[in-house]
Amino acid sequence: MASIASLRHVSIGQYIAMGSVVHRLDPRGKLICFGLLIIATVAATTYTSNVLLLAAVLGLVLLARLPVGYLLSTVKPAVPVILILALMQLLFYGGSADAALLTLSWGPIHIVVGRDAVRMVVTSLLRFLDLLFLTSLLTNTTTHGELTRGLESVLSPLNALHLPGHELAMIGAIALRFVPILGEQMESILMARESRGVGTGGSSRWRVVRNAQQVAALIVPLFVDAYRRSEEMMLAMQARCYRGGRGRTHLLESAWRLSDALALGLTVLLVASVLALQHLPFH
Amino acid sequence: MSETVVRVAGLRHAYMVGTPMETAALRGAELTVSRGEIAALVGPDGAGKSTLLRFLNALLRPARMGQVTVLGSDAAAPSLDVAALRRRVGLVFQYPHHQLFERYVGDDVAYGARQLGLSAPEVRERVAWAMAAVGLDLDAFKDRATFSLSGGEMRRAALAGVLAMKPELLLLDEATTGLDPGGRSELHTLLRRLRDLEGMTVVLASNDMDEVAELADSVTVLQGGRTVAAGPVRDVFYSADGLQAVGLTQPSTVGIVGALRERGFALPGEPLTLAEVEEGIWRALPA
Amino acid sequence: MEPDLIRVVDAHYTYDADSDRPIPALRGVSLQVRRGERLAIIGRNGSGKSTLAKCLNGLLLPTQGDALVKGMSTRDAEAAQRIRATVGLVLQNPDNQFVATTVEEEAAFGPENLGIPRAELRARVDAALRQTGLWQQRDRNLQHLSAGEKARLAVAGMLAMQPECLVLDESTAMLDPGARRELLDVVRALHAKGLTVVSITHFMAEAAEAERVIALDGGRIALEGTPREVFAQEAVLDRLGLGLPAAAGIARGLRRRGWTGPESILHTDELVLALAPAEARPT
Repeated sequence: MASIASLRHVSIGQYIAMGSVVHRLDPRGKLICFGLLIIATVAATTYTSNVLLLAAVLGLVLLARLPVGYLLSTVKPAVPVILILALMQLLFYGGSADAALLTLSWGPIHIVVGRDAVRMVVTSLLRFLDLLFLTSLLTNTTTHGELTRGLESVLSPLNALHLPGHELAMIGAIALRFVPILGEQMESILMARESRGVGTGGSSRWRVVRNAQQVAALIVPLFVDAYRRSEEMMLAMQARCYRGGRGRTHLLESAWRLSDALALGLTVLLVASVLALQHLPFH
Repeated sequence: MSETVVRVAGLRHAYMVGTPMETAALRGAELTVSRGEIAALVGPDGAGKSTLLRFLNALLRPARMGQVTVLGSDAAAPSLDVAALRRRVGLVFQYPHHQLFERYVGDDVAYGARQLGLSAPEVRERVAWAMAAVGLDLDAFKDRATFSLSGGEMRRAALAGVLAMKPELLLLDEATTGLDPGGRSELHTLLRRLRDLEGMTVVLASNDMDEVAELADSVTVLQGGRTVAAGPVRDVFYSADGLQAVGLTQPSTVGIVGALRERGFALPGEPLTLAEVEEGIWRALPA
Repeated sequence: MEPDLIRVVDAHYTYDADSDRPIPALRGVSLQVRRGERLAIIGRNGSGKSTLAKCLNGLLLPTQGDALVKGMSTRDAEAAQRIRATVGLVLQNPDNQFVATTVEEEAAFGPENLGIPRAELRARVDAALRQTGLWQQRDRNLQHLSAGEKARLAVAGMLAMQPECLVLDESTAMLDPGARRELLDVVRALHAKGLTVVSITHFMAEAAEAERVIALDGGRIALEGTPREVFAQEAVLDRLGLGLPAAAGIARGLRRRGWTGPESILHTDELVLALAPAEARPT
């Protein structure tokens, strides 16, 4: 059965056909825009730049008709970890004492929660969301075939330098394809173990630890499975005369249109604005 | 009157609820299994067989609609002691490499038995019995690495791991798909022995109608997540609005009987196995 | 023109030949596959069927002996592409063979590797999809196909390379009876048009449809001949762990009891005719 509960949590790599404007853009353009926006995300450390960026990204997600709630639900399992990390950053980032918002001390323990720390935490959370949405935007609106072709195109300058541009693109494409397959595999293994009494009994207090143990114990079987599948895939590709990118033709090709140039232009504008906001005197 | 070991009524289930990829898997499935029988669950790919089996050992719990009662326990009740149920119900998955997780075969087969809290000598005994039952030599295989086994050996090891728990109810999810004729008949012999000597109740999900005709006592037919036919094997395979009406294949034996009757060859009764058809033809031949 | 499309000469193959646990899979197999014929290879698990299949298109090279396709040795590296475009091998698990996202992209993968120009790519993909009944679904995400459709897509992927021979390695093993029938219908139609077909199968009824059957046991050929000849060897088949098609099995049982019906019954209609030669009385 192709769809299982855990796939709900894996939105990366799954093409969701919505027929929006974003879906129809040339994959090469999308990849370049994606790269630019990631740079913007990494560079944005102030409040204003992040607000602009997140607003723009959310706007794109809505334009692509992707279900925001569904995308957010994929990070639900990670929320506890994120909260713990955020708390630790708040408490231990330090920063200059005169920019302190809050100071706590019990005897020898002296904790300073500074303005900088708060800014760091808030912008980090916003940027995390950006990353999530941007990745979804790319992979949920572009088929693997388009992504491969796009990647190949974008990486083709590497071919001129005798670096394996096409092969890298192919590796990326197959890795993406395998994400849901391995997700399914993981689910099956977990279910088989549960059926024999793993993970039941014992107090629920230790459930988090046990879950972590279970996931760690999955690594070997998943690896073996992935290895076997990839062996078979390699044979199958050879049987179909695959020999790398040399001399390959393509059934489908994307045409660069006005909308693509427009999208690229707007992205550059957005990134420039975000970076500009970084350097304003107030944050 | 035999005790009812499994009762499923009006069961509905959907995967990935609340996402754009929501799919209904069960739309009102029914299943009744009596103690000590081999019950077959048939239907085309995607009909919901695997899903239904997973409700029987509480991997999935009834959320939407429907009633699932297994070995007297209500699987929908929040107070269900899941661990206790899983000690009595064993599920063998379709792909053995999903099931094996210990490094060595012996450990893997022993795993379930250890979970039952048995003493070390008892566990050893169970492992020996289970491996003998599936035809894996104990000494040769107990120290082999699980991932070094061949496909067929893995299948046996996975089955042994579940048998070592001596479950009252044994669920097999397409355990024979992909087996060669020899392997299949060995498994059939084993299942009959488990039913007759150990009193196990078996629910076998299969899409091989010949296998069902040879082995099963009762059959439930799923299609599109619904139960479209159920009852003793003979009744279901020979009924007027039988399998062909829902577009499913018949066992070859039933097909042969039908073809003979169409030509006027008077073959009485409702023979299902090859042996029964042969016997019936022999008796019906003019002396 | 050579009548033999494929010739295997005393092939041996050992897995892990240099390890401390070598596994001999083929121990001297010699066979010919004639142009246009339909050949079935049967044998229990571990008898060497899959290994043999992979030797037929050069995916595996015999550790001893040779395999030739149209006179070209599979050992000849220069000929590898041509050999694999001539003999198309379809492996058992379609999920592990697919590289693309949509049905038509997947079918195009093989000929793309051969550098076929775009216009002809389109023609080949369309033809292959029509022959396998998948043309209506050419835009669909292949993850959403049923098992039977995936099996047919794997065949379409090979057909698009326009091979002269199709080798199916237990392609029907994991399918339900309906999907199996559909796939066999496709194979039958292709064979009728002149395609050479080699089926590796567990299903005796499927083997009974072939023109010639070869039974393997422990890496050697144990039986060879027409289905009638092979399935008449009940004792040998028993020893090989193989069965008979249902009608043949019943006929064997009846003859043991003293029935004097014809010797080599294979199919249901033959059994019926032998038992009820007269036309049915109107009921």
